[in-house]
Amino acid sequence: MLGRSGKVLLVLYIVCLLVLFLMCSTNLIIREPEQEIYQISVIIEDVRSDNYSNFRKGMDQAAVEFNTDIHFITLYENLNVGQQMELMDREQQDGADALIVVPADEEQVAGKQMTIPVILLRAGVAEAAGAGNIVIDYEKMGEQLARKVMETLPQGTPVYMLTDSSKQSAMDAMFMRGIDRAFEEGGRAVRRIAREEEGGFRMAFEKIGMRKEGEAVILAQNQDILTEAAGILADNAAAAEGVKGLYGRGTTMPILNYLDRGLITGICVTDEFSIGYYSVREAVRALEGAGSVPTVMDSYYIEKEDLREPAFEKLLFPIE
Amino acid sequence: MSRVRRGRRASIALLLLCALVSMLLTACQGVRKEEEKTSIRIGISLYRGDDTFINNIRSIIEEKAKEYERESGIKVTLDIQDAKGSQNTQNNQVERFISLGCDVLCINPVDRMDTSLIIDRAMTAGVPVVFFNRQPVEEDMNRWDKLYYIGVDAKETAVLQGEMVVDLYRKEPEAVDINGDGVVSYVMLEGESSHQDSLIRTEWSVQTLKDGKVPIEKITGGIANWERSQASALMEQWLADYPDTIELVISNNDDMALGAIDALERADVMGVNVIGIDGTTPGLEALESGKLLGTVSANKELYGSAIVELAASCALQEELPSEYPLTDDTYFWTPQEILVTKIKENP
Repeated sequence: MLGRSGKVLLVLYIVCLLVLFLMCSTNLIIREPEQEIYQISVIIEDVRSDNYSNFRKGMDQAAVEFNTDIHFITLYENLNVGQQMELMDREQQDGADALIVVPADEEQVAGKQMTIPVILLRAGVAEAAGAGNIVIDYEKMGEQLARKVMETLPQGTPVYMLTDSSKQSAMDAMFMRGIDRAFEEGGRAVRRIAREEEGGFRMAFEKIGMRKEGEAVILAQNQDILTEAAGILADNAAAAEGVKGLYGRGTTMPILNYLDRGLITGICVTDEFSIGYYSVREAVRALEGAGSVPTVMDSYYIEKEDLREPAFEKLLFPIE
Repeated sequence: MSRVRRGRRASIALLLLCALVSMLLTACQGVRKEEEKTSIRIGISLYRGDDTFINNIRSIIEEKAKEYERESGIKVTLDIQDAKGSQNTQNNQVERFISLGCDVLCINPVDRMDTSLIIDRAMTAGVPVVFFNRQPVEEDMNRWDKLYYIGVDAKETAVLQGEMVVDLYRKEPEAVDINGDGVVSYVMLEGESSHQDSLIRTEWSVQTLKDGKVPIEKITGGIANWERSQASALMEQWLADYPDTIELVISNNDDMALGAIDALERADVMGVNVIGIDGTTPGLEALESGKLLGTVSANKELYGSAIVELAASCALQEELPSEYPLTDDTYFWTPQEILVTKIKENP
């Protein structure tokens, strides 16, 4: 038989158990601070993500540090701005908290009204940088590359630029503008070679090889063309004989391998890992109302022997 | 007495009330509204992102996912991670995929013998797994009916690789037995010793040559772990150790075959036949230029489609697509074909 105090103790014991149960299995009494996971969608201008491998590593690193969930989205069609803007709307409707966009058309994408923060990776010159933007100054990069090429360029050496107007992004256009300007200032001319429907640049290389003007210097509009050109030189010794040097930009593994093999003479690179990292960081800052600041990225010129330099090694082969 | 009974009844009632409240509270937590899926999320972990064949497959998966998205109107989000050859990293990636709410996992295992942890996690979370390229052991695959494997039949690959040389030998023996001594001297470049395909490819390509009455003699062989650079170093050594002897290089994949070609070019050795497997982009380029005698290529478009379609069906809990018939309700074997260099085909 329980006495009065026994009953009180029993009731207290049960209440205690109930409270403990509620504490352990629900968040009704002690609320755990909810850590918000931000959904960030990244929409690039390309149909493939091959040229974004270091960028993605940086993004993944930031995703872990800033507790974000990243969706990486490529377009169905290269440089299709309409499609890119549709995807921006779709991601906003699907609950994305912020967007990071590599614009297919800077003007149109920058002018698009969105209710969530948008971080743009702009190819524009540094002076045009605004809040929420990460700027890679491709015009300056083009100038930098051209000046390096001219340092060792004998008078009379023909300079060709391999281009593909059907796949010309804002980055490509600014890069070429920078190259043209620097060569013009140096009193040199750059001749354009357009990509042919069939065979790409193979015929062009054969023609260059047959010229009697001596060895030529070749510049590539973008990573894809640079990789293609280096591949042609690797397969065709006769074509390689007519080429004094092949230059361009990019940090993809095939480009770095070709640089290491001596098929590419020099490239301009940016710290793509940091660009990926900063873009996520800026998006989180914007979401937390911390005020995003424009970030302007530097570019560097490197040749084969620089690949083993610790500073460039970290930049080109980042460890996640 | 009645007061005591009343008190006891009150205590029991209180206990029952507590139990009821607890049950209600617990049950309320688990209630979630079922919604029709308009998007799916697929977590993909690759054993090594720098493997050429895996990179090819990755690109095709990305393309096929976009195609599926356009055709079905269901948004597909791919989370692709590189395990960098570490099973531990891959296990962590699987946990992250599950915590991010992936509907299905596509795993290219680092260690095919050690997939039990991945399967445990997936089973606990109820997330189906589509393994590809590196086949988990049968005991693991039999643990759950939501585990699938997509790959190629390694024996078929090896037999096709062997047949490529047998056919050429029958048509033009001197194109294979280059020094005309009546024996084809070969070296063998093998992939990882722990990979099932490596062992089977090595065994059956040689067996097919023997069955096809090609007089062969093995000079030497070595494990180059599927890598071009390692194969190149081995070949360089063999060319120094056995000068003017090697007539045929049999490689378990295209990357190693290309490594052998690199070494042959460096040593300025001509005429040695090199055969690979996979039909990778660089492999096909070497085939086009006549540096590679031939390769065996899986239908990579179908390979990638099968991964995406199967994963999507699992994620949407739909019936599996009939275009990809499964052996034992688990395995899809991608068809393969022989690709021979045009230069050798039309001399």
